[in-house]
Amino acid sequence: MLLCKDRIGGLLLLIFSITYGLLSQKIHLLPFQANSAFHARTMPEVLSVLAIGLSVLVILFPGSDERPRFAGLNWGLGAAFLVLMSTYGFLVRPMGFLLATSLFLMVGFALLGERKLWRLVAVAVPTVFAFWALMTYGLDVFIEPLPKFMRG
Amino acid sequence: MLDGILIGLGTALTPMNLIFVMIGCFVGTFIGMLPGLGPMSAIALMIPIAATLEPSAGIILMAAVYYGAIFGGSTSSILINAPGVASTVATSFDGFPMAKQGKAGKALAIAAYSSFSGGVIAAIFLLVAAPFLASVSLAFQSTDYFALMVLGLTAVAAFASKGDVLKALLMTVIGLMLSTVGTDQTQGVPRFTLGILDLTDGISFLLLVMATFALSEALIAILKPNDDAKRQQEKEASSQLGSMAVSKEEVKEMVPVIGRSSVLGFLIGVLPGAGATIASFLAYGTEQRMAGPKKGKLFGKGSVRGLSAPETANNAAATGSFVPLLTLGIPGSGTTAIMLGALIGYGIQPGPRLYIDQPEVFWSVIVSMWIGNIILLVLNLPLIPYIAKVLAIPSRFLLPFILFFSLIGVYFVSFNTFDIQLMVLFGAVALLLRFLDFPMAPMILGFILGGMMEENLRRALLINNDSWSFLWERPLTLSILVIAGLCLVVPMLSPLFAKMRKAKQSETPTGD
Repeated sequence: MLLCKDRIGGLLLLIFSITYGLLSQKIHLLPFQANSAFHARTMPEVLSVLAIGLSVLVILFPGSDERPRFAGLNWGLGAAFLVLMSTYGFLVRPMGFLLATSLFLMVGFALLGERKLWRLVAVAVPTVFAFWALMTYGLDVFIEPLPKFMRG
Repeated sequence: MLDGILIGLGTALTPMNLIFVMIGCFVGTFIGMLPGLGPMSAIALMIPIAATLEPSAGIILMAAVYYGAIFGGSTSSILINAPGVASTVATSFDGFPMAKQGKAGKALAIAAYSSFSGGVIAAIFLLVAAPFLASVSLAFQSTDYFALMVLGLTAVAAFASKGDVLKALLMTVIGLMLSTVGTDQTQGVPRFTLGILDLTDGISFLLLVMATFALSEALIAILKPNDDAKRQQEKEASSQLGSMAVSKEEVKEMVPVIGRSSVLGFLIGVLPGAGATIASFLAYGTEQRMAGPKKGKLFGKGSVRGLSAPETANNAAATGSFVPLLTLGIPGSGTTAIMLGALIGYGIQPGPRLYIDQPEVFWSVIVSMWIGNIILLVLNLPLIPYIAKVLAIPSRFLLPFILFFSLIGVYFVSFNTFDIQLMVLFGAVALLLRFLDFPMAPMILGFILGGMMEENLRRALLINNDSWSFLWERPLTLSILVIAGLCLVVPMLSPLFAKMRKAKQSETPTGD
C-alpha cells in the first residue's frame, strides 16, 4: 500500500528530522568550541542523521499496510477542542481563572452534546470555585481569580 | 537492610504519607478505570500536586497512583471489556466472560487478591535486588552510564510489538531530539529555540507527558462517536457485581499461579523496555500451556487461572520496573520514565547514590509499595461498587474535565500561557501520530534519557581526553554496548528468520 499509516507517519517525521538537521547547523559555536570532540552541535547532528535514516527505513519497510481511516471520526469536534484549549490559554490571564475556566468547561460540555444551560452551569461553576479554593487555601497556589478590569 | 526497612517504615507510616498513599490508590483507581487513561496519564496528572510535596511524600503519592491505576484498569477490563491500559488487556480475556456469567464481583476479588500478592511478592524481591544492584552499580563510571542509557533506549525497540521496531526506534530518537531544545547545559549555547525566549529552558517534561498522554487520549475519545449501547452496558455492569467471595477451591487454584506469575512478572519488569504488558501476556500464555488440554480449554471462558496470572504478573512487573529506576537511574518503562522525570524535578538523581545519599526516599518507595498494595486490597476492594459508578459519568462531562486538568496541571507549574499553546500543539501532533500507530512511550523515554545521555557522553570524553576509545577499551562499557547492539539487531532480523523458516517449511515435501 503506497500511502499506509507507517509511510505517512514516516514521511512527516522525515520532514521534521530534515528541518531539525538544518536548524542544527544554525547552533552558534565559538571558535574554540568548534574544535572540541564534543560540542553543542554534535548530539543534534548525530540525532538528525539517525532520525532521517530511520524515517527512510520506516517509509521503505512499513510494518503494516493498514491505511488510515478518517471516516466515522469527529474531526471537526477534535479541531474545535484544540481551538477551545488554545483560546483558554489566551484568556486565562485577562479573564481570570474563575470566568475563563467556567466558560471553557461549559463550552466543552456543550460541544459534546449537553444542551441544558442549567446543567452546564451547575456542573462547571461550583467545580471551578471548589478547585480554585482548594488550590488557593489548601495548597497555597495562588491563581488570579478575577478578570483584569475587576482587579484592584 | 533492616535499618533501611525501618527508615522506610518510619517515613512511609507517618500519618501524612499514609493519607497520600490512600489518596493515591483511590485517585489512581478512579483514573485507571476510565477507558483510555492508564497509569502514565494518572501519574502525569498527579505530578503538579506531587511537586508541591516533599520528595518522599511526592514519590509515595505517585507510586500509589501507579498501583491504583493498574488496579483500576483491571476493573474496567472486567466490568466492561474496555482495558484502561495495555497491561490489563489479558485480564479481560477471562475477567469479562466471568462478569458476563454474573460473577463480576468474584472476578474483581480474584484480580485484587492476585494484584496484591503479585505486588507484595515482587516488593520482597525488590527489597533484596535493589540494594545489591545499587552496590554493584557504584563501580559504574560515566562511560558505563552512557552505555546503559543506550541499552535502555534500544531495549525499547527489542520489546516493541512485531513490525513496530523501526517506529519505536524512530520515536526514541525523536524524544532525544526534543530533549536538545533549549540552552546547552555545558556550553550555554541556545539550541532550536527559534528565537523564542520561552524555549530557552527547553521543553518541560511535564508538558510533553501531559500532551502526549492525557491530552491526546482525551482527544482520541472526543474523536470517537458516542456509543449508546456500550454506555448502557457500562451502566448495567457497574450496578450489578454479584458476590465477591472466593471459594477454597479457587484459592487453591490461584496459589501456584500467583507464585509462578510473580517471579515471571518481576523478572520481566526488571528488564529495561519490557514491562507489565509483556509480563501479563507471557504469564497468561504460560499458564494456558501448563494447564493442559482439559483446563486450557477453559481459558477465555472465565478461567480463574487465566484471570489470576496476568493480574499477578502485571503488578509484579510494575514493581520490578522500579529496580533499574532506583538502582541505575534508568527507567524500565514509560511509567517509570515519568517518575524519573518527577524525581529529577525534585533535584534527586536516581541511581546507586540514591541508596546512600537519600535512603529515606529509596526505602520509603519500597515500603510504600507494600502499604499501597494493602490499602488497595482493604480499602479499594470494598469500595469498588461505588468507584465503578465513575463508568456511568457521561463522557460529555468527563472529557472536558480531563482536558482542563491536563492544561491547568502544566500551567500551575510555570504560570506561563505559552506552555498551554505548546501543549495544544504537541497534543495535536501526538494525536496524529497515535492515529498513525506511532508509539509515544519510547519518545518519552528518549526525552528523559536524552539530557543525561549527552551529559555522560560529554563527561566520558572529557575524562578520556576527547578520545572515543572508551567505547571499546573499557570491558563493562563494551559489554553493555554489545548487549544494546543485540537488542537492536535481533528484533530486526527475527522477521527475516521467520520468513526463511516459512520458506524452508513450504519447500519441504509433505510426504503424501
